[in-house]
Amino acid sequence: MLRVRNLRVYHGIIEAVHGINIEVPLGKCVALLGPNGAGKTSTISAITGVVKSEGSVSFEDRNLSSLSVEDRIKAGISVSPEGRRVFANLTVEENLVLGGALKPKCRSDRIAEWFKTFPILGERRAQPAGTLSGGEQQMLAIARALMNEPKILLLDEPSLGLAPKIASQIFEMIKNLKQENITILLVEQNATQALKLSDYAYFLNNGHILAEGKPEELGGREDLMAELTGIT
Amino acid sequence: MTLSRGIKRGFVGAALLTIILVIIGLITSYFGSRYQLRLVYSTYVNLLVVLGLQVFMGNARITNLSHSAFMGIGAYAAAICVTPVNIKALSLPNAPWGLNAFSLDPLSSALIAIVITGTVALLVGLMIVRLSGIGATIVSLAFLVIVHSLFLYRTDIFKGNQAFFGIPQVFNLASVIALSAVVVFSVRIFRESKWGVALRASADDEVGALSMGVEMYRLRLIAWVFSGMLLAVAGIAYAYFLGTISARPFYFNHVFLTLAMLIFGGMRTVTGAVLGTFVISLGLEMVRWLETGPVFLGIDLPEALGLSGIALGVVIVFTMALRPSGIMGEHEIEDLVLKK
Repeated sequence: MLRVRNLRVYHGIIEAVHGINIEVPLGKCVALLGPNGAGKTSTISAITGVVKSEGSVSFEDRNLSSLSVEDRIKAGISVSPEGRRVFANLTVEENLVLGGALKPKCRSDRIAEWFKTFPILGERRAQPAGTLSGGEQQMLAIARALMNEPKILLLDEPSLGLAPKIASQIFEMIKNLKQENITILLVEQNATQALKLSDYAYFLNNGHILAEGKPEELGGREDLMAELTGIT
Repeated sequence: MTLSRGIKRGFVGAALLTIILVIIGLITSYFGSRYQLRLVYSTYVNLLVVLGLQVFMGNARITNLSHSAFMGIGAYAAAICVTPVNIKALSLPNAPWGLNAFSLDPLSSALIAIVITGTVALLVGLMIVRLSGIGATIVSLAFLVIVHSLFLYRTDIFKGNQAFFGIPQVFNLASVIALSAVVVFSVRIFRESKWGVALRASADDEVGALSMGVEMYRLRLIAWVFSGMLLAVAGIAYAYFLGTISARPFYFNHVFLTLAMLIFGGMRTVTGAVLGTFVISLGLEMVRWLETGPVFLGIDLPEALGLSGIALGVVIVFTMALRPSGIMGEHEIEDLVLKK
């Protein structure tokens, strides 16, 4: 289980996340919802170790708080970051090689598997990743995050900026990952889709958890949905 | 251990470039005049510099303007070690720390020069790698000026603008070609290695690379020190062929020339570095001929001193404006013969 306790994240003197608690049991998909600026990405960045934070982050009863990003990846945490962040001048294949850099054993086989799963990525293996469409880049970002065979996958806004049809494909992909028993922490603004996929959800705003519960409970709360859409 | 696809392609690319380098060398050796031989030699030395520059600039994508200083440190360090004591007694009578009291063989001198340059690169690199963009470039420029000033004003060690003579001329064209081949292979393999890929990734997107566990500063430092050591090799090759060095060749003009070569060919690839070096060298030789005011097709052209400087500037301006990634862009030579 991923356990986040009393997490505080600061950007300079501004406190972006105010002591939140989150739990993601193994094999489950947990959604972290909230409007822009709620502190979702800060939370993800703190879990991966990209930003400094206070409080504790533990995974499978091991405290990760003092570990580097690299060691957290080795402990089984992988992220597909917000905005995809594929390496535009690297080829599709090099992106995947880098994704699997910390687990070089059988890396070529895993790359070949991904090219089978997403033939479009296979066709474009030697192309710079920056030439892919938004949806293809998102597929690549997720495949890259899975190259280290993580125990938990953090997905930060995977549908951001994608056309509805492409976003549906990405959610379909997440559903498949879930069926493969991969533990997922899904950060999304698209609450409807995220709640459909998740087993449990947290609603974050202004760095505080406003609500948490089963998807059907949160989905039914009009006040939270109004916060997300900005329509009151 | 199986080699990755990138490394395999890297070996093929480096082998193809080596074949071209050897062919150019053979043609020059058989058909070239003494002047042309010297010219081609200096082109190979510049190739070593441009390759050294590419390791850091092409992978970390931070502009470095201090490369000629590192070349100079390598050249002087080797020269001080290798020059016979009786010559140093004449040329460096007031040298401190007993620098004029010993002499080593060329190989030991070269190794010491590489280690010294690598150590200096490490110290400078600790500052450079934490900066990005313009900050790093300005520090590199400041370092160039500091080193040049030291060369000029510590005449008791470096002889300033006067010639530091008496260096054994142990290198010939074959040695520099062999050296170029080794450096082409090492630079290309570095580019395709996990370090090279991670470094290029961090140049694309620092935050993205960080979230993949890439330790950007450490990788930049590795590339920077490796680059410094290669530049030392270039300096040694220069000194061991000419037998005489002075401070001037390790300053702005040389920085600008080699930078133009890398930018024109394409800094992101090793093939670009090789292509840029040879095309600019050839082009510059033609411009130098024009500078002298020759008679061309019956027309008596006027003397045009300074034309080569203008030409280099124009090359940089036009490359940056029309094809910022240089002639080769992201392509390496093996893309011509291997399926992508």
